[in-house]
Amino acid sequence: MTTRRKRPASKKKTTRKKTPARKTRASRRARGGSFFGGIVGLAVLVAAAGFVGFATYAALLGVEISREFEARRWDVPAQVFATPLELYPGRRLGLDDLVAELRRLGYREAAVADRPGRYRTRAGALDVVTRAYRYGAEEEPSRRVSIEFAGGRVARVIDASGSELPLLRFDPLQIGSVFPVHGEDRLILEPSEVPPLLIEALKAIEDRRFDEHHGIDLKGVLRAAFVNLRAGEIRQGASTLTQQLVRSYFLSNERTWTRKLREMVMAIALELHYDKDELLHAYINEVYLAQDGARAIHGFGLGSQFYFGKPLAELELHELALLVAQVRGPTYYNPKRHPERALARRNLVLEQLAAQGIIDPQEAKQAEARELDVLSEAGRSASYYSAFLDLVRRQLFEEYPREELERRGLKVLTTLDPAVQAAAESALIRELDAIEANRGDAPPLEGAVVVTNPHNAEVLALVGSRKSGYDGFNRALNARRPIGSLIKPVVYLAALESDRYTLASPIDDAPIEIRLENGQTWLPKNFDDRARGLVPLARALAESLNMATVRLGMDVGLEPIADLLMRLGLEQRPRPYPSLLLGATGLTPYEVAQIYNSLANGGFRTPLKAVRAVVSEDGERVQRYPLEIQAAARADDVFALNTALVQVMERGTGASVRRALGADVTVAGKTGTSDDLRDSWFAGFTSDRLVVAWVGNDDNRPTGLTGATGAGRVWSSVLRAIDTVPYSAPPPPDTLLTWIDLDTGLATEPTCPRAVQIALPRGEEPPRARACGDSRPRPGAQIRRFFRRAFE
Amino acid sequence: MNRHTLILSLLLATAGCATQPLIGTAPRPAPAPREPAPDDSEAARAPGAPRDPGFPSPDAETRRAPAPPTSAEPPPQAAPASVALLEQSRSQRAAGSLTAAASSIERALRIDPNNAELWLELGEIKLEDGDPLQAEQMARKALTLAGGDRVVAARAARLLARAASCASGGC
Repeated sequence: MTTRRKRPASKKKTTRKKTPARKTRASRRARGGSFFGGIVGLAVLVAAAGFVGFATYAALLGVEISREFEARRWDVPAQVFATPLELYPGRRLGLDDLVAELRRLGYREAAVADRPGRYRTRAGALDVVTRAYRYGAEEEPSRRVSIEFAGGRVARVIDASGSELPLLRFDPLQIGSVFPVHGEDRLILEPSEVPPLLIEALKAIEDRRFDEHHGIDLKGVLRAAFVNLRAGEIRQGASTLTQQLVRSYFLSNERTWTRKLREMVMAIALELHYDKDELLHAYINEVYLAQDGARAIHGFGLGSQFYFGKPLAELELHELALLVAQVRGPTYYNPKRHPERALARRNLVLEQLAAQGIIDPQEAKQAEARELDVLSEAGRSASYYSAFLDLVRRQLFEEYPREELERRGLKVLTTLDPAVQAAAESALIRELDAIEANRGDAPPLEGAVVVTNPHNAEVLALVGSRKSGYDGFNRALNARRPIGSLIKPVVYLAALESDRYTLASPIDDAPIEIRLENGQTWLPKNFDDRARGLVPLARALAESLNMATVRLGMDVGLEPIADLLMRLGLEQRPRPYPSLLLGATGLTPYEVAQIYNSLANGGFRTPLKAVRAVVSEDGERVQRYPLEIQAAARADDVFALNTALVQVMERGTGASVRRALGADVTVAGKTGTSDDLRDSWFAGFTSDRLVVAWVGNDDNRPTGLTGATGAGRVWSSVLRAIDTVPYSAPPPPDTLLTWIDLDTGLATEPTCPRAVQIALPRGEEPPRARACGDSRPRPGAQIRRFFRRAFE
Repeated sequence: MNRHTLILSLLLATAGCATQPLIGTAPRPAPAPREPAPDDSEAARAPGAPRDPGFPSPDAETRRAPAPPTSAEPPPQAAPASVALLEQSRSQRAAGSLTAAASSIERALRIDPNNAELWLELGEIKLEDGDPLQAEQMARKALTLAGGDRVVAARAARLLARAASCASGGC
C-alpha cells in the first residue's frame, strides 16, 4: 500500500528527546554573563544584550518550530479504504469490468505487465501484477497472475507458477481520509515510497543548494535582495525547501521582512535539529499541491492520487514533472483552469531537469510532448466518495475521539464497493436526466441511493445527491421524508405476526372512516379513488390499496406496528397515529434501508455497517466490527411477506420497474409515494443486494412522479448495473408455497392467468377454486381459518 | 363447531349464487385486464397525475406467466473460493486464532452469503469464543437457508443445543 508508513517506535522517542536538550543548551547560552565595565564594557554589554535577546528569540522560535514539526510529522488523518476487489472462478465479472476496476485502482495498461500496478489484456484474458499490501492483520504479497474469462464470468485465476488460485484479492482503493476541520488532507508516504527522481527534481527546481546550505541559501538571498531592491518591492524569493516547509506550517503567505526573518531563523533551527533526509521527507508530505473545495491537498502522496488517481511510485515522468510544477503555485498553475500555464511550467521543469543532467534530454523531449493527463473533473469527483465518507465519519465519531481520527494515522477498512458505488451514482444521474428530459420546465430533481448486502448489512454504496463527489447535503443520511407506501410491508408483516391473517385472507378495500384524537375524521382513499371490495392481503399489498391497508392496520393495532418497526431496526419509535399506516412518518433513505435490510435478511436485524475494522498505524492493533445478527421477526412470516413483495413486482405497482430488469430476474420490492407526489420511493432486494432509492425536490415541491416512475427507474437502473443473484429463498419447514388467485384468494392452478405463488402456513391453504378466476370454491372443498376474518 | 357451520352454510349459500363473488370484484372472463395499479399514496391520487410514457401500464404484466419466488437461477459457482476460505478459517481456528477464523468466514460469506454451512461455521466459532447468543443466531440463520438439507439441519440443531446449554452456564 502506498500510504503505509512504518516508523520504528524508538526513532520517535529519540527525536522527541532532542527538543528539550536543545532548549537547555540554548538557554544556557542565553544566560552567558557580562562582567566588564567602562565604555568598551558598555558596548560589549549592549552587543551581548543584543546577542542574548536574539539568541533567546532564536531559541524560542527553534522550540516553536520543532514542536510544530513534531506535531505535523505524525499528524496523519485516518485513511479510509474501500472493500478490496476479490476475484474467484465463477464470479460474474467480465474482462471490461475488471479493467474498469483496475483503472479505478490506478493500475495502468502496458505492453508487458512486468511490475506492480501494470496489466495487459489479451483475448479473453488479462495479465496483471498486483500490488503488495496489508489488509488488517493480513499480508498480501504482490502476485503475477493471469485471469481468464468465459461467458461474462471469471473462469480461472492462474499464478506465475501455473497453478490455479481459488481466490485473488487486490489492494483496496483508498477512498479518502478523516481530515481535520482546518481541511488539510494528506497521505503520508514512507521514504521508501518516494521515487528518487522526485527528490532530485525537487532539489533541482526548488533548491539547488539544498544539500549544502544550513536552512537558508545566502547566495540566493543576495541575488533575490538585489532584484527586490532594484524593483522597490519584493519580487523574488530564494526560499529553500526548509523555508518553504516552515512557511507551510504557519499557513500565511504574507511577505514581510519580519516574517522573512522569522522564517529564516526557524529554517536554521530546523536544520540544526533534523537531518536533511528528515526535512526532505517532511517537505514531501507537507507541501500544498491543490485545493478541492474545503479540502486542501497536501503532500505528494495525495497530490498524485488527486491529480492522477494512482500512487506516486507509478507516475510517469511527465506526471511527476507536473506535480513538481505545482509546488510554485497550485492556484496559478492549476492544470484544470490554466492548462497552458501548467503545461508551460511542467515543460520548464522537464527542460531544467534535462539541463542539469537529471534526466536524459531525449526523455525530456518525449515527456514534453505528452498531454497533462490529469483526471477529468468527473474522474476526480468519482474518486471522492463524500457521501459514504460522511457515513464512515458518523460511525467512527461514535466510538473514537476526533483527535484520534484526525491525527493518529488509523486505517479504516470500510464496506464500500467502488463498482457498486459507480453504478449507483451513474444510475441516479442517468435516470434523473431522462425523467427531466420528458418533463420540460421543472425544478431539477434530487435523489439518493443506498445499496447494502442484506446478509451482513454492509453498506456497499451511498449516493447523497446527483452531484456526487462533492461535499454537500447528504440526502441518503439526512433527508427525512414521508415514506408513503414503503411502510405497508411492515403493516402486513404485523398482520401475519398476529396469527389472524395469512396472505390469502380477505380484507375489505372499502371506504373507511377513522376518528382521530383531535376529533377530526380521516377518510383515506385509494390512489385512483376506487374501492376494490374484498381482496386477499397479497393483492392489497401488491396494488398498494390504501383503504384495505388502513382497515388491516387498525385491526392489527398501531402499537404492534410501531413496535415491529423498532424490531426491524428503526431507532426512534414513530408515533402510533393512524396516518402511520400510509407512511406519513418521515424517514431517511438510510433508515428505510435499515428496515428493509431486516426483511431482505429473512427477519434478521443487523445494524447497517460502513466500517469493517480500524487498524492502528503500526498495524498491530485491529478493532474489528464483527458480523452479528439478531432474529427480529419469525422467519416464516418474513418469508411469506417476501413472497408477497415478489408479487408487488410481478403483478402490482412495481410491475413497470420489474419489466425494466429483463425476463428471469426475480426481485422483491415496494413503491412509495408521499402526498401530492412529493416523494418518490422505491425499496427492493434480490438474494444478495438491497437497493433503496429516493427521488424528490429539496424544497418539497411535488415531483409529478410516483414511486415507480421516479425512484423505481433509478432502482432498476442500479440493479441492472450491479452483479447480483435473483431473489430466492428456501421455504421454511412449516410453510407451503401455494398458487392462489390474486382476485379471489382461492387456491388455483399455476396456469390460471391471475395465479400467483405465495407462502402460507401449512394447514392454512384456502379452498380450491372451481375454475380459473372462479370465485366459488369447489364443492366440498375443505374450509379452514381462511374465511374466519371475513365473517367474524 | 358452531362458527364452521355458519361459514359453511354461508359458503354454500353464496356458492349457489353465481353472481355473488366471495372475494374481489365482479367475476370477469380470464385473463381479465386489470385496471392499472399505478401507485399508492392516499393523497397521491390526482386523476391527471402525469405518468411516464416510457413505462407502459402493468396490464401486459398480468398476462405474463407468473414467476414463482423460488425459481431463481443457481447462485454463481463460488464453491472453490468458499472452500478455500473455509479451510483457511479452520486452520486459523486450530491455531487458536478465533478472530482470524471468524474474519475468514465473514469474507467467505461476502462471496457466498446463502451458504448455510458458512453460517454454521461462524456460529461454532462464536460459541468457542464464548458468545453463545450469537452462536444461536447464526444457527437460526443457517436454518433459514438450509432448505431440505438434513445434514445442515442436524448440525444447526446440535449448535442450538450447545449454545443453549452454554448460555445457561453449562459449558
